[in-house]
Amino acid sequence: MAKAQIRNEIRRLRFEHGEMTQQALADRVGCSRQTILVLEQGRYVPSLLLALQIAKVFGTTVEAVFTLEERP
Amino acid sequence: MNVILWALIALGVAFGVVFLAARSAQRRLPAVVLPPGEKMPRTALQQLAGRSLLFCLPLVVAAAGIVTYHGAQVYWDDDHVRLTVTGLLLAALAVFAFYAARVGTWTARDDGRLDERDRAILASAPAGQAPAMLVTLAAWMIGLVETYHGTHLVPSVYLYLIFWSCLMVSLLATFAGILIGYRRS
Repeated sequence: MAKAQIRNEIRRLRFEHGEMTQQALADRVGCSRQTILVLEQGRYVPSLLLALQIAKVFGTTVEAVFTLEERP
Repeated sequence: MNVILWALIALGVAFGVVFLAARSAQRRLPAVVLPPGEKMPRTALQQLAGRSLLFCLPLVVAAAGIVTYHGAQVYWDDDHVRLTVTGLLLAALAVFAFYAARVGTWTARDDGRLDERDRAILASAPAGQAPAMLVTLAAWMIGLVETYHGTHLVPSVYLYLIFWSCLMVSLLATFAGILIGYRRS
């Protein structure tokens, strides 16, 4: 079975939404800035609830924020 | 060699191995890139665990140092030494009680102090307790067997010391588990 990794577009989406800071996003979804930081850099995979909350802040779908990347 | 000193060295080696394993696991993860001059923000739980470890560790080291310096029998016979050590260990327990109360309050209030990552780290932190206590017991067992093998008699004071050492290692492993959890995820 191929290994899979979750990539995200949070950093790009933050900048497209008025250069929203990590702290502002963290406050809106109810988590710490450290969680947003490690999430953006692919060190942490969020729960479905947090993923949906982040997508809602950016007014988009979870699939537009998080994508599955398969590696051989 | 003094059996307590031997146990302390074994514990030091065990914590060193845990530290190296944590560093190795961290290196396998993608590095966190921060803007120049910026430090990794610390969460409330991370700060609490760090401060608790900072307060607890010197108390435990001081208690272990006093017992090692005076020897187990003097510790057992001399009320002053025993009460001093017990006081230090109870102070360490008080630090843990404060930590547990704060975390319990944050969890019950659900006011955003702990997010899902904090809760996941908090849940996985006790995983290190059992191995740490096993290492402690193994250190005591080897030390006591090697020291008292010939006599077939182990002084009862060691039962007391084994209990306290397991309890303190368990507390320290909880704090260390939280701090390592933040470095690993």
